[in-house]
Amino acid sequence: MPDDKRAPSPMDRVWDFFISVKLAIITLIVLAVTSIFGTIIEQNQPPEKYHQIYEDWAFALMDRINLFDMYHAWWFLLLLVLFTVNLACCTIDRFPRMWKVVRNPRTKLDGNLEKTLSQVDRWKKKGTVPDWASKYAEALSSAFAKPVATEEGGEVHLYAESGVASRFGVYVTHLSIIIIFIGAIVGNVLGFKGYVNIPEGESVSQVPVRGGSRVQELGFTVRCNSFRVETYPSGQPKAYISDLTVLEGGREVLRKKDVVVNDPLQYKGIWFYQSSYGQAGGATAQVAVRKADGSPMGTLALPPNEPMRIEGYGTVRGVNYDQNLQGNGPALQLVVDRPGKPSAEFWVYQSRPDLDRQRNDSLVFSFSGLNVRQFTGLQVAKDPGVNVVWLGCALMVVGIIMAFFLSHQRVWVRLSKSQDGRVEVVLAGAASRNRLAFEKRFEKIQTGVKAAEL
Amino acid sequence: MSNVILFNLTTVLFGVASALYIGALYANNEKISAFGTWVCVLAAVVSTAALGVRWYESYQMGIGRIPVTNLYESLVFFAWSINLFYLVVERKYGSRTFGAFVMPIAFATMLFAIKNDSSIQPLVPALQSYWLHAHVITCFVGYAAFAVSAGAALMYLLKAKQEEAKVSAGVIGLLPACKTLDDLVYRSIIWGFPFLTAGIITGAAWANYAWGTYWSWDPKETWSLIVWLVYAAFLHARITRGWYGKRAAILSIAGFLATVMCYLGVNLVLSGLHSYGGG
Repeated sequence: MPDDKRAPSPMDRVWDFFISVKLAIITLIVLAVTSIFGTIIEQNQPPEKYHQIYEDWAFALMDRINLFDMYHAWWFLLLLVLFTVNLACCTIDRFPRMWKVVRNPRTKLDGNLEKTLSQVDRWKKKGTVPDWASKYAEALSSAFAKPVATEEGGEVHLYAESGVASRFGVYVTHLSIIIIFIGAIVGNVLGFKGYVNIPEGESVSQVPVRGGSRVQELGFTVRCNSFRVETYPSGQPKAYISDLTVLEGGREVLRKKDVVVNDPLQYKGIWFYQSSYGQAGGATAQVAVRKADGSPMGTLALPPNEPMRIEGYGTVRGVNYDQNLQGNGPALQLVVDRPGKPSAEFWVYQSRPDLDRQRNDSLVFSFSGLNVRQFTGLQVAKDPGVNVVWLGCALMVVGIIMAFFLSHQRVWVRLSKSQDGRVEVVLAGAASRNRLAFEKRFEKIQTGVKAAEL
Repeated sequence: MSNVILFNLTTVLFGVASALYIGALYANNEKISAFGTWVCVLAAVVSTAALGVRWYESYQMGIGRIPVTNLYESLVFFAWSINLFYLVVERKYGSRTFGAFVMPIAFATMLFAIKNDSSIQPLVPALQSYWLHAHVITCFVGYAAFAVSAGAALMYLLKAKQEEAKVSAGVIGLLPACKTLDDLVYRSIIWGFPFLTAGIITGAAWANYAWGTYWSWDPKETWSLIVWLVYAAFLHARITRGWYGKRAAILSIAGFLATVMCYLGVNLVLSGLHSYGGG
């Protein structure tokens, strides 16, 4: 009994299932359709938000099938795995056959092959087979590609091909997807993503990892020297700019003054991306203090409503701030408490540093401005798989172009002795794709070859 | 702003071209559709000039950037791509009947565009990147190819219905043969697919450079993947399982609907990083 009459074993059936293109098409469509859910249902929101939108039973059901984080749900990942296994099996199944065809092309134009070809032309010439064979080989070289010659039973077959790479396009494309997935897995396993706020003047050496309670040690320290926002004349934001320094063992090893969106800081494979900003712990008011004789005593940084002690004097508190008090510009309301004296409450103006002399106190306060301390918000990422992903992406573009825009074109010439003593010539050709374009090219080859003379 | 005047003129020209192509079908008059072609060529010149002028005007305003960064600009650029892609197809296939189905898409796009804010706004920090150029251009060439494919697919379905009924009268009788239409459906997709792929890759590279994540399942990204998956399914069905004709046409139209959702729907209906549609 021949092998193929045997009933397929369960293993064969499993294999046949995984190598089918039907499975590939179904998986592609199912992936496309299920992906839609995650774009309609907002992902990874707090449960309260979902409870506002959905009935309890609907929430329970959706939660159960992980619809609120569906791209990481077991069933979605399973679909991706199925997709990848299908891809790999298809390649394992088909690649060797294609490789064989490419390595051992049909160099002889026999009757069977001739019947399957779309482009065939025949004519007769006076002369001998070997003479015309060498002449046509030359002509084919210049009109198309260098042929290989096979001699058999008095017949000579010439075979030439071009664009054989197009046969590999589909495998390059499929391989590229597997490479991208490998890159993504490497990044997920060996890399991390986090987010950190650094107030101006402060530094961090560890980052909380996104989606977990883990904290990642950076192995170095990053300090935010300053942060600022630039705006267009219209007031729209133009740039968010962080001035960052990398320190190792207390020493400055790298400084990048303008970390902006689309221009991150990179150190030892860890990238810091400008992503947000905000006010760090409220504003502090700068208050200059002088003695009654005018000699300066220093500057106080007053956080809102926090009493600051001055030795041998009492406490000072900033209780109110006004951007433009009674049209006189920024002003700060101070409360001074001295032992044994009634509490004093008064305003100091930024534009009038000497105004406080009027109180006839032993100290004179003046307001030198509000210092709003900002923090910079940085995305922190380490992804050792990202270059693997780019390799896969590049291969994908190359593979698609090979598959769609190249064509494997083959041309045969058969020379044999005809019964009337002349040489019978058959010229035939075929293309794996874009037959219309090949027809035109074949006509040119025809003309080129026919023009050859002994 | 002179660029807006030129774009308004382009809209009129697209409308005239659509009317001429459709009129030529009904009147069965080759001269009218040939005139339509000249209107399309003129529209191509005017809209290209408009893009150039807008680009120049942005520099004069001290903003200086490629005009493809908000909904208005992306719509006019999309219409511009459709028109050019269409002209290439018309020349290659030697048939002007496609115009009646493709140019109205360009016209409708422009009508939608002029309803949006056409002022030149400065770039927000996230868009200030050279990746913007590569990303937007590749995406829109892909979208334009899919639009042409869907137009041809619609023609195919109309024509096939008539062929089944074994009549060849009326307007539909003048459409190119089913075989030609089917070929155009496929051929536009094999042009659109690599561009869409490149568009997704440049978008991923940009996202990685801006935020450190090349893929975050944001609705825009996910819809671009959906579009990619639909056309990948189309190509596999076509090449290995011989899906020609009706089934291929329906899949092509489904792909284009997904494209429209990816391009406009996500911005107008869903939320995400590509927020230009909100305004």
